[in-house]
Amino acid sequence: MNESTMEKLRLLAEGAKYDVSCSSSGTQRNNQGGLGSASNAGICHSWSKDGRCISLLKILFSNRCVFDCAYCVNRRTSDIERTSFEPRELADLVMSFYRRNYIEGLFISSAVEESPDFTSERVLTCLKILRQEYSFGGYIHTKVIPGTSQELLHQIGLYSDRLSINIEVPSPQGLQLLAPQKKPQDIFRPMRQITDTILDQKSLRAPGSRAPGSKAQSSKDQDLAITPFNSDGLPALRTNGRFVPAGQTTQMMVGASGETDRQILLTSEKLYQTFQMKRVYFSAYIPLVDSPLLPSLLSKPPLLREHRLYQADWLLRFYGFTADELFNDDHPDLDPDLDPKIIWALRNIKIFPIEINKASLDDLLRIPGIGRISALRILRQRRVCRVQYEDLKKMGVVIKRAKFFLTCNGKYYGGKDVIPEHIRAEELRSAKGLLRDDLIQSRLKPEPDPQISLFEPKHVSLISPTGFLELGGN
Amino acid sequence: MMIDYLYDGSFEGLLTVIYKHYHQEKAKGIYPLDLYQVNLTVPYQILQTNEEQAEKVYRAIQKKISYHDLRRIYYGYLSNDQEKEIKVLKYLELGFKTGPTISSLHGNPVVFDLQSIEKKVSHEVHRLKGLIRFSLLEQDILYAPITPDHDVVALLATHFCDRFRHENFVIHDTRRSKALLYNQGRSVIAPFEYEKLPSLAREEVLVRSQWRTYFDTIAIKERTNKKCQRNFMPVRYWENLTEIF
Repeated sequence: MNESTMEKLRLLAEGAKYDVSCSSSGTQRNNQGGLGSASNAGICHSWSKDGRCISLLKILFSNRCVFDCAYCVNRRTSDIERTSFEPRELADLVMSFYRRNYIEGLFISSAVEESPDFTSERVLTCLKILRQEYSFGGYIHTKVIPGTSQELLHQIGLYSDRLSINIEVPSPQGLQLLAPQKKPQDIFRPMRQITDTILDQKSLRAPGSRAPGSKAQSSKDQDLAITPFNSDGLPALRTNGRFVPAGQTTQMMVGASGETDRQILLTSEKLYQTFQMKRVYFSAYIPLVDSPLLPSLLSKPPLLREHRLYQADWLLRFYGFTADELFNDDHPDLDPDLDPKIIWALRNIKIFPIEINKASLDDLLRIPGIGRISALRILRQRRVCRVQYEDLKKMGVVIKRAKFFLTCNGKYYGGKDVIPEHIRAEELRSAKGLLRDDLIQSRLKPEPDPQISLFEPKHVSLISPTGFLELGGN
Repeated sequence: MMIDYLYDGSFEGLLTVIYKHYHQEKAKGIYPLDLYQVNLTVPYQILQTNEEQAEKVYRAIQKKISYHDLRRIYYGYLSNDQEKEIKVLKYLELGFKTGPTISSLHGNPVVFDLQSIEKKVSHEVHRLKGLIRFSLLEQDILYAPITPDHDVVALLATHFCDRFRHENFVIHDTRRSKALLYNQGRSVIAPFEYEKLPSLAREEVLVRSQWRTYFDTIAIKERTNKKCQRNFMPVRYWENLTEIF
């Protein structure tokens, strides 16, 4: 460790900070004989001044780049100081941080130094030092460099808990425009490879997948033969490691190119289905680059829009919604003032109120103000005794929101007016007092298509203090 | 007649009180001996902890209610809630009537009370798994001072003893003067005070400043949101964090 490691740390963390993911979840692993373990729920170790959690040491291996993606600070034509770690230098840094319980592991990403394979090779060397030499059992998230060879990607996957390949631009046209050196297949082919390898690995664990007389199966049985490139006819690899136990994720920028919220969410829905992604992250585009292709340097990052997208993402992943349900042809973007769940409820007011003591889990989850935890508590208590209206608060239901949409033992608690406009006004009034009454009135009128400029987002001040909850490590 | 029971502050002591509550006088209040203020209208009794009786209650909870609820009661006992003892007692009274379904009664105030305490304790345990900061001392010892709201040292042991299996470390609850001491395979939780700690290892200063550099660099200026930071990481934990100065 010397002064120059410190300087590299500063430069290469600077280049990595725009990556959203910092989660350390999805792997449960005890100490492997050296230092470290992984916890399924993930652990956050600190929170930086922007309120984002610090779980992993999020850092670039190198910021020397041959690519020239318009939106990126590290692009070839950018005027910044360039540097790279040595594999052992970074491994030692990870160990000294981990030992003091500063971090949960490493999130390693890199600019494309010389070529994708050259860079991946160096990253792999670092991971091998950590895993093999130091028996490091902590969490490793590796970002795949687009264009890396299949063999290298597979190797890297065996030392990582999670892999990610960032889409960044949610449409092929945008990608062509902003990142001409990245081709869609450079992104989707490795995604496919990761998904297929994980599926292969799972199928080898499934009942009936072993030859007669072979060892009994257990979830701890890690000695698996994996055929990574069966579709391409390449030889099978035998390995002791598990391939990417915490799955893969990706990230898209919001507000850099002209996509609507609907397009973004349809894309992420497709990603969840096609590649079984664990997460699709959104990052509000922060203008760092003065380019005619991008929003001006003066525009603010669309933080509220990002927040609403995450709320919608939660609805897709945990509440059984589909992306199409959240939009109609008049509204291709999410409403900045109200969360997508209540907007959906107002548009579908006919199905309400829902009776708490009879509804299925799916129906309970449609009620604004009821989340997964409270819905499950309602179901648990219902098996033993009826749920009373007074119980709901103790179960974690947000009464002021939910009361318009439910009945409890046949009684409605929402007052007289059940028209959507009334509920909407109530909702806006309680929206932290930031909206004035006349604004509420104007909101109640039927609106023309909201021509929200993607580059000059409004209402940024409305972001709630907990708005970054979704970015947390869990 | 109802009386106040005073116990020695141990979990076994609390379980002994529960035993007496069922086999002698009913409890009006339950207090740790050192915190009790004599009340002229209510008689009190100082209880000697009785291992045998405590064990009986322990088994009864596990058998007639559930292991899950036993754990909840233990978490409740570890909390700093002023009325935790009486909340535990009420929970058990209800639990011995309802059996294992007690934890499904989410709307019941008695269940709600203990569930909320349990949540606070387990939340703090989870937080501290991340927020503990070790300093490397001479003689290769990792030392971390903590000042938790609840008495959670015991609940941190499994996690840290596994993760740092080949290290020597001390997690010191300076507020309660006790510590989890771990020496390569052997761990003990004991009363702990130090007269003089070994001094910091030589590289410690450099690693700390690297960590601070990283901490400052990783924040995105355009997204600064200190309120959000404090929500996740309340200021009362900051005194032991190396990155905040």
